[in-house]
Amino acid sequence: MWWYVGKRLLQTIPVILGATFIIYALVFLRPGDPIAGLFGEKPVNEGVKEQIEAQYNLDKPFLVQWLLFLKGAVTLDFGNSYTGRPVIDLVSQAFPVTITLALMALAIEMVLGIVAGTIAGLRRGGLFDSTMLVTSLIVIAVPIFVFGFVLQLIFGVKLGWVDPTVGGDWSVSKLILPAFVLGLVSFAYVLRLTRTSVAENLSTDHVRTARAKGLTQRQVVKNHVLRNSLIPVVTFLGVDLGALMAGAVVTESIFNIPGVGNLAYNAIKRGENPTVVSVVTIMVLVYVLASLLVDLLYAWLDPRIRYA
Amino acid sequence: MPEIAIRPGQERFVAPLEETPLQDVDSVDLSAAPESQWKEAWKRLRKSPLFWISGTLLVIIAIVVAFPGLFTSADPSYENLSDSLAPAREGHPLGFTQQGGDVWARTLYGARASVAVGVFATLFVTVVGVVTGAIAGFFGGWVDSLISRLSDIFFSIPLLLAAIVVISIINNIWPERQFWGSVFVVVGALALFAWPQITRQMRGAVLSVKSLEFVDAATAIGASRWKNLVRHIVPNAMAPVIVTATITLGVFIVAEATLSFLGLGLPRSSVVSWGNDIAAAQVLVRSGQHLEVMFVPATALAITVLAFILLGDAVREAFDPKARKK
Amino acid sequence: MSTRSEARAAKKNAPAPGYDPAVDPLLEIKDLQVGFRTSKKDVVPAVRGASLTVYPGQTVAIVGESGSGKSTTAHAVIDLLPGRGEVTGGEILFQGRDVSKARKDDIVAMRGSSIGLVPQDPMSNLNPLWKVGFQIKEALEANGVAKGKEADRRVVELLEEAGLPDAERRAQQYPHEFSGGMRQRALIAMGLAARPKLLIADEPTSALDVTVQKQILDHLEMLTGELGVAVLLITHDLGLAAERADHLVVMYKGKVVESGPALDILQHPEHPYTQRLVSKAPSLASQRLSARVEREEVKAQAVQTAGEIAAELEAEPEVVGDVTRDDVITVQNLTKVFKLRGKRPGQKIDFTAVDDVSFSLRRGTTTAIVGESGSGKSTVARMVLDLLEPTSGTVLFDGVDVRTLKGKDQLRLRRQMQPVFQNPYASLDPLYSVYQSIEEPLRTHGIGSKKEREARVRDLLDKVSLPTSVMPRFPSELSGGQRQRVAIARALALQPEVVICDEAVSALDVLVQAQILELLNELQAELGLSYLFITHDLAVVRQIADDVIVMEKGKAVEQASVDEVFSNPTQAYTRKLLDAIPGGSIELGR
Repeated sequence: MWWYVGKRLLQTIPVILGATFIIYALVFLRPGDPIAGLFGEKPVNEGVKEQIEAQYNLDKPFLVQWLLFLKGAVTLDFGNSYTGRPVIDLVSQAFPVTITLALMALAIEMVLGIVAGTIAGLRRGGLFDSTMLVTSLIVIAVPIFVFGFVLQLIFGVKLGWVDPTVGGDWSVSKLILPAFVLGLVSFAYVLRLTRTSVAENLSTDHVRTARAKGLTQRQVVKNHVLRNSLIPVVTFLGVDLGALMAGAVVTESIFNIPGVGNLAYNAIKRGENPTVVSVVTIMVLVYVLASLLVDLLYAWLDPRIRYA
Repeated sequence: MPEIAIRPGQERFVAPLEETPLQDVDSVDLSAAPESQWKEAWKRLRKSPLFWISGTLLVIIAIVVAFPGLFTSADPSYENLSDSLAPAREGHPLGFTQQGGDVWARTLYGARASVAVGVFATLFVTVVGVVTGAIAGFFGGWVDSLISRLSDIFFSIPLLLAAIVVISIINNIWPERQFWGSVFVVVGALALFAWPQITRQMRGAVLSVKSLEFVDAATAIGASRWKNLVRHIVPNAMAPVIVTATITLGVFIVAEATLSFLGLGLPRSSVVSWGNDIAAAQVLVRSGQHLEVMFVPATALAITVLAFILLGDAVREAFDPKARKK
Repeated sequence: MSTRSEARAAKKNAPAPGYDPAVDPLLEIKDLQVGFRTSKKDVVPAVRGASLTVYPGQTVAIVGESGSGKSTTAHAVIDLLPGRGEVTGGEILFQGRDVSKARKDDIVAMRGSSIGLVPQDPMSNLNPLWKVGFQIKEALEANGVAKGKEADRRVVELLEEAGLPDAERRAQQYPHEFSGGMRQRALIAMGLAARPKLLIADEPTSALDVTVQKQILDHLEMLTGELGVAVLLITHDLGLAAERADHLVVMYKGKVVESGPALDILQHPEHPYTQRLVSKAPSLASQRLSARVEREEVKAQAVQTAGEIAAELEAEPEVVGDVTRDDVITVQNLTKVFKLRGKRPGQKIDFTAVDDVSFSLRRGTTTAIVGESGSGKSTVARMVLDLLEPTSGTVLFDGVDVRTLKGKDQLRLRRQMQPVFQNPYASLDPLYSVYQSIEEPLRTHGIGSKKEREARVRDLLDKVSLPTSVMPRFPSELSGGQRQRVAIARALALQPEVVICDEAVSALDVLVQAQILELLNELQAELGLSYLFITHDLAVVRQIADDVIVMEKGKAVEQASVDEVFSNPTQAYTRKLLDAIPGGSIELGR
């Protein structure tokens, strides 16, 4: 088991290196002088420019810049933004909001998706199944920000049940509606996945054997259908946490949440390369850690993997 | 073996021959028309209402994409602020946008950009994914390791964020671009980080087909590795990829709209697109007025995406009878 | 479990009023009709009027080929028809009560405690995610036999009873840590856990090696005898059925064609279908002298033809190797070592799949390689075909080492040696029509014009007794036997000297299997082919082979002529294999 964990940890290293390299290369390709942007219309003093370039390592070759960034990143030192604030400060302020939002969205999609998907899978072709199927299709087909605005309008503006926007002093209760919106699309996927998986498992040989033993429908579903069906769902959920963090860009902008998504979005628009690279790196880390966790969970769920 | 007394119900019984006429062992039924797996799938498809619904929708969408002028005489790019949010009038059945454009005309003409993004991004992703996945799965070894690690890397960067970065960079390099330029920038940004999904799927499918006996049989005949891959393995591994591709197409269309919402999709100045119109109408929704200005393009987009996803579902069921209702 | 629910369960399981276990049958199926619903209106019948009777403690066997409705009948008894199957007529009386009209929870109460099931495929019938012990414990708890600690103890007893050594440790393991035979023992323990009165054994051993099969059937027979459990045995193997059951029911296309005392049916089959089955069942047929005589004739003819062909070929400059040699294939000290991944990363374990095997195949004859799963027989075949590189040793084809051939010479070798594989569902490309499949080798080697190739395909189809009208058809429309014929036609397209049949008839129904064996014999005599015949089934060997190599754990433990192996086996393992042939002990009437 520990060998397995160790092996998986080792495998994540090239992924992290490769991903940061790609994102670094992308922002490095961006033309234009970031420092000139900083000073706006004012003429720039050559001496000051060189000093700033040295400070941000802009005078060094690309590969060296990347390595210096990695070196810093290991000690959580992501350098300073062009406005002079340490990037880690910006991130550590924004990160808790987004991870809370993403985890809430994950919890919502998981609970709703698995429950509804299981019921639909057990009664394939029934009324509930059809309703859920249509719902999931609509959720996938309509851009998420449309739902965001509509729900914001209904629950925030018209009914006044929740604050339409979150703002600086965020709290878990304020994040419920945004989390629901964020998790909506994934809910549809979890539902569809669970439904197919449950329906497939229902017709396996070992489920028939379980019935032949004299187990009731409840026992059969609980012990022999659900656990087996959850394996592909768990895989999806693990990959999804990363996607949710990125999807927060949209949700945070609708509900005005001061999270990582907003931070990244604004940084990209302004060409704040250190911030962009840092945020993406953190998101990649979240993705990698989540998939690692899922793999371990997978091994727990499926004993065949444990010894492989 | 001891003699057993015969008990009631277990007497010797022989069925009359005329009741169960003997058939030739393993005779060929020549009455039905010959069918390949694809033809069989097509036969099942034809019986599927899902397929007919999505197919009809797609035909209508295709006509709108090709000839939007058939359904309106208004110019979609003509905007007159004095018409801002004006109600419907003759020749303008759905009223006007905040900028004073014709909602109906803009929705019809907007189809082209959205569908183009979806189709080309899917084409790109499918071609790259099928080729890399097939090579990785078939040749294995270091080639497989290289492709798999590369796809891991690209997969680990969130698609939406990566697309935003790429587009914002290109906006700096190439700010003035026309319709196709803009479309391909979005296509490239989405496709660059979306191919690993198809690669992984294709690799898995090739691995499972590779171990089937007909592949060995072809090798024993003397077919080369490449011929084997191209003639036998890839065609047999394509079905799941086709299903994913149809669904991915819908997802790309939604993604383009999302990018437009963030101001990084197709530029409003040169392209009429659903994403732009939905994004532009967000101000109206925030104030709770003139919701129809957003709903018309949003509905058009949703129907298009739905058509592709339903087609994917229909194709999946046609190829995989297991997944059909039992 | 509370006494009240026990009482309720007992009531649900109670026989019908007036049922007398001393006189009345335990199970009585009367004119059963079962169909599968394909739409609201259409029902495809699977069982069209089947009747049978089982008395307490008796073993009754239903024998039939695939599609005969034997498994469907059995599943109807325990109300576990797959998918949209439903009973459309007739009665299933268990202890006098009609199961097919019983309430859902009455049936649930009956399963396990009154009627147990031992399913067919041990690989797919245990839930991979739960420990084996837990899965048996479930059966105990669901039927109110025992719970908690007591149930755990009982599980170990049951596993021991089913003949699983080291049961206490085994109960804590997962199914994937069990071999097929062990899993089947666990399933038997499960089926008998609540001491049912009737055990349905659905092909309980057909997925297992013959020696394991015999052990498990012996054990099952002993157990059910001790416990007085009646057994409804479902099998495709007439020999096995006759050996194990008192009463036989032969089913064909959803109907019972003949039933009666087992031995009586075997010795005096009356229905033409039963007569066919009795004459073709490999386990029974292999005892017949006639099979040997026929084989001798085939061989003589084949050797002569092969000699003539070799003389013709010698004149052609294209041919690789010396075609006049007596041994067409010579295998010398063939060894294959696979590197398996160990438990730790980087750790490699050597696994010797084939260990120093030498043999030769004489021109125009058949050499059979017999062995159980894991014996390395298929690995030998793949190395002979040059699909797998040997770790050491050589394969000489017409005196030439196959590994030294490159490019054109290798292609020519491929022409001279062709495979026919086991699984008729996987050996043809599903996207290729019959014509394309058979034409492919001709096209690959650039033989003939399009017209000539088509004529050749027609000729080949004729050789394997398929009408030319199957040419536009696709594999999914053909039965297993027909696919295997197509595979044979494809193998013959390049006029090979040697055909390597890797379990080529194992997946087929008895009668189809007999037909394919006949076809292979005819083709050998006509074309002077040499066969390397890989099989796990010693019973078919006598109908097709001249020499036998018995493999066990990678080693060739016995090599001799067929007659010697059958009449005078020198190795204990060979004797074990021979003893395990089901029905071998039965005296046939003629």
